[in-house]
Amino acid sequence: MEAASLPTAPAAHEHHGPPEAHNSSTVDRQTLGMLLFIVSEIMVFGAFFTAYFFIRVVNGNPWPATNEELPLAIAGFNTLVLVSSSLTMHWALEAAKRNNRNAMKLGMVATLLLGATFLMVQINEYVHLGFAPYDSAQASVFYGLTGLHGAHVFIGLLLLLFAAIRVFRGHFTPAEHRGIEVPGIYWHFVDVMWIIVWTTVYVL
Amino acid sequence: MSSRDVTKADVVRMLVIGAVASAAGIAIGLSINWFPTAAATQAGPIDTFFDIMIFLSVPVFVLVTTIVLFAVIRFRVRPGEEDLDGPPVHGNTRIEIVWTAIPAIVLSLLCVYAATVLSDIDAAKADQLKITTYAQQFAWSYEYTGTDGKKFMTDQMFVPCRPTTAKQDEGAPCDGRQLSLDIKAVDVIHSFWIPEMRMKQDAVPGITTHTKINPNRIGTYPVVCAELCGVGHSAMRSTIHVVTPAQYTAWLKLNSKAKTG
Amino acid sequence: MPVALRQPGWYRALATSLLGVAFCLGLTTLIRSLMGWDPLIEWSAIATVSMIGVPFFFLAGLGAFDYWFYWMSGRPTRAEDHSTHGAHSWRDYFKVNTDHKVIGVQYVCTTFIFMFIGGLMAMLIRAELAAPGSQFVDGQDYNSLFSVHASLLIFLFIVPVFAGLANYVLPLMIGAPDMAFPRLNALSFWLLPIAGTLMVSSFLMPGGAFASGWTAYAPLSTSQPLGQLCFTLGVQFAGASSIATALNFLVTIITMRAPGMSFWRMPLLVWANFATSLLVVIATPFIAASQFFVLLDRTLGFHFFDTAIGAGREGNVIMYQHVFWFYSHPAVYIMMLPGFGIVSEIVSVKSRKPIFGYRMMAFSLLAIVLLGFTVWAHHMFVSGMQDWIRVPMMVTTAIIAVPTGIKIFSWLATLWRGVLHLDTPMLFSLGFLTMFTLGGISGVMLAMVPFDIHVSDTYFIVAHIHYVLFGGSLFTIFAGVYYWFPKMTGRMYNEKLGKIHFWATFVFFNLTFGPMHVVGIQGMPRRVADYAAQYSELNLAISVASFMLGISTLVFLYNMVNSWRNGPKAEANPYKALTLEWQVSSPPPIFNFDNIPTVVGGPYEYGVPGAVHGIFDKPSPQPAAAVASSSHEPA
Repeated sequence: MEAASLPTAPAAHEHHGPPEAHNSSTVDRQTLGMLLFIVSEIMVFGAFFTAYFFIRVVNGNPWPATNEELPLAIAGFNTLVLVSSSLTMHWALEAAKRNNRNAMKLGMVATLLLGATFLMVQINEYVHLGFAPYDSAQASVFYGLTGLHGAHVFIGLLLLLFAAIRVFRGHFTPAEHRGIEVPGIYWHFVDVMWIIVWTTVYVL
Repeated sequence: MSSRDVTKADVVRMLVIGAVASAAGIAIGLSINWFPTAAATQAGPIDTFFDIMIFLSVPVFVLVTTIVLFAVIRFRVRPGEEDLDGPPVHGNTRIEIVWTAIPAIVLSLLCVYAATVLSDIDAAKADQLKITTYAQQFAWSYEYTGTDGKKFMTDQMFVPCRPTTAKQDEGAPCDGRQLSLDIKAVDVIHSFWIPEMRMKQDAVPGITTHTKINPNRIGTYPVVCAELCGVGHSAMRSTIHVVTPAQYTAWLKLNSKAKTG
Repeated sequence: MPVALRQPGWYRALATSLLGVAFCLGLTTLIRSLMGWDPLIEWSAIATVSMIGVPFFFLAGLGAFDYWFYWMSGRPTRAEDHSTHGAHSWRDYFKVNTDHKVIGVQYVCTTFIFMFIGGLMAMLIRAELAAPGSQFVDGQDYNSLFSVHASLLIFLFIVPVFAGLANYVLPLMIGAPDMAFPRLNALSFWLLPIAGTLMVSSFLMPGGAFASGWTAYAPLSTSQPLGQLCFTLGVQFAGASSIATALNFLVTIITMRAPGMSFWRMPLLVWANFATSLLVVIATPFIAASQFFVLLDRTLGFHFFDTAIGAGREGNVIMYQHVFWFYSHPAVYIMMLPGFGIVSEIVSVKSRKPIFGYRMMAFSLLAIVLLGFTVWAHHMFVSGMQDWIRVPMMVTTAIIAVPTGIKIFSWLATLWRGVLHLDTPMLFSLGFLTMFTLGGISGVMLAMVPFDIHVSDTYFIVAHIHYVLFGGSLFTIFAGVYYWFPKMTGRMYNEKLGKIHFWATFVFFNLTFGPMHVVGIQGMPRRVADYAAQYSELNLAISVASFMLGISTLVFLYNMVNSWRNGPKAEANPYKALTLEWQVSSPPPIFNFDNIPTVVGGPYEYGVPGAVHGIFDKPSPQPAAAVASSSHEPA
């Protein structure tokens, strides 16, 4: 090497590749990474719930605000849709473990369709609500919290789409199916978070 | 390794140096003119509390510094010791318990003391003078109830304080009505602070905050904005005049007649 | 298409960035036309969307997403080609590189650039404050100076420089070939210059740079000109970088330790970064959310913090502070815990003694993590929040001094009867011990509500902040940079210049920030461009000292640059340390180790005859030449 001013690879000891890292835990890296990421996602929702708490409970404002009704039934329907999609997701993962390729494909497609239905229903709900986020702080928090969740549904659908593409190309085996399992964990988080959002915002 | 033995004489020397340094540090700490002139009863407990904290803090700092300096002087690597290691001491349960328990106890006691000071300075008195102050970018204004029962606005605060000695001029000790201040913000967050009286409270849009002050010294003191509120934050100042009851009544009458409604 | 535009790199990044501007312009205009908003072409809306969108186009052009795009397309995974791993010339440092050692150097260099920019602003602040009245900046410009100063130094220097040092050292220390997710690691780094560019470029915005402090309280921040968004959005990118790095550290530490390295045989630097990463993952989303609220209020007319809309519909102003400080208090531990780890490494090696009370040192880190989430409202004692919150927060804040005290005392006990090598890293560590003690003392004072009522938002706070962040964090950063300089660069720094840097810093640091305690209690508020005449003498003295402090950092800069280029070559283990990073060459081999070492003892067993931490001759399973540790999954 020339009189290097930056650390560069020593000329000796050229390797074909790095040594295999030692596994110091039984937990798989990608799964652990996803779980920790979900922890930070939970905290984002926590902050939005904090805003909700201050605007509704601390301020003592009516919920929903006057002249701003929330469609409990439609949201309830959406909850059923999303819970079903978690079931189909689970079904797809079980199929992967049992090498049932058709069930895998069906499960992924069903999950995607159900998830897309949820988003469509939510967007339609927004259009027909009759109030906008700038009508009140309650409206701001409502749109903020449900919108945050909707964005996460969208991200989840993207992850599932990529997984589905790979299912259709035959990439997964009973031994190696993290590519379905890890996005699946994210999808279940999205589902559970919706139940909390729906209960807090629509039901209570 | 004999240079690393610590004799009783060493410990005594360190304790003496530590005691002297602490005494000197405390003396310096107590003699520094930290606080502005006390002009409210709230200042006494707060200023005393700070003195107590100086008393406790100096020995802590002296302890840490003395050990660092002693170690640096006594245990530094000498020529020939480049390959020497120190004794493989991993811990000492007893000393670890001591240096966990003592700070915990001292801090708990400090918290109890602080809580009593807090309830002291927050305590309500009878016969309060109720004023509302409005904070806006970048000025303070005050709403008084005039002698005719009608409210009026002013940009300087006047509060009555009955002199307790023969003196009646600037600096005279006095016994004032408790100023019960409601604070409202018109636009952004501001903070109402009279350094000489120690009390501070933010002005928050959407709510009314509150503070209680007992002036006890005739004089004129600055009111300072203590929360960044925009371009004019450093210029957002006002004045509080602590005057005799006679002067206050005269001022109140004058302003009641001049600004009705 | 020219080759340069097809390869990941700066040319392609420029092209995709321009594409991004066009895309954002089009998207904004499309949305505005669909929503029926007037005017159709609104430049501040376009600027806002661009500040969010263009960085992603830039990153895509640079190559940060290349592998993930490939994965998304569903094509079969390719075997890892390690021929481009590591740095073979200076150009590699300006690319997307997945080698943790390269990323570490990228971090340290980039963050120090922002440190100097933020430090320059400090010089301008002190120049303005040298005398009462307006010297050369007016109110809004002055407010921008301290806002950008603090934001750069917090989000673009202290938080990430620790991440960068750990990025370099930690995998080596635990016997790993790299981090768990090298590509995510590279992305984490490249988010940082984006955040910094956003913040610095706020000076070019109409209306000037953001000027509501690094705390950006609503509703001041929701009614500011466009420059405010440079903070609002810059923080998001810096926060994303921080969270991604923390995830990486946690998974690396949990799953990639060498055989024999139980948690109780990990060096304390690893413990410290483990604890810090927990804080980052849990707390950082709160500042992200607080800035989302500000963004929504300011750009889309939401009412999170709007109290003017009318009763029964109004938002809550204090809510901003709760959400903000729920992150920003743990943030100060994020800015200190890695420094604690660095000091443990240095004090042990330079005293030739084990760390005293290793287990309590580890537990105290975890205690600080836990307790750190219970104290946030001590920043809000005069905020107008409910009275009853104050005393509990005072108690929890006071309690945190206990595990912190345990650490200070343990370091002192480590020095005790050791063989002290008083070189530059050790001097900065010792300086840290005394200065952080002072900062901690003023912190305990601030925990006490009655005293805090008087000094909140005054120069006493500024003094406290700088004793813990400069005398605390920055001293440990200097210590760490000097300490690992030979490992990272393969050369020794100049020890004499290092000592000059230390002493000048120590003296002028105290002369600058010591008097601020007095001036604050005396009645000078913070964030003011002008002050009452009675504070003139002290302010002038402070300003002069601060200029000397600024000059002393140039000694450091010169030493680093000159030694990097011309310093004497460093051996593998100049300090005869036991931890694994010192058992490989300086700089380390491109893949860190030929074979993963086996750990057979603790990391600090100095003074124990024949003690060994890691042994290197046990062969690990041979890696297959082409299909190495890649999996089907993106990393």
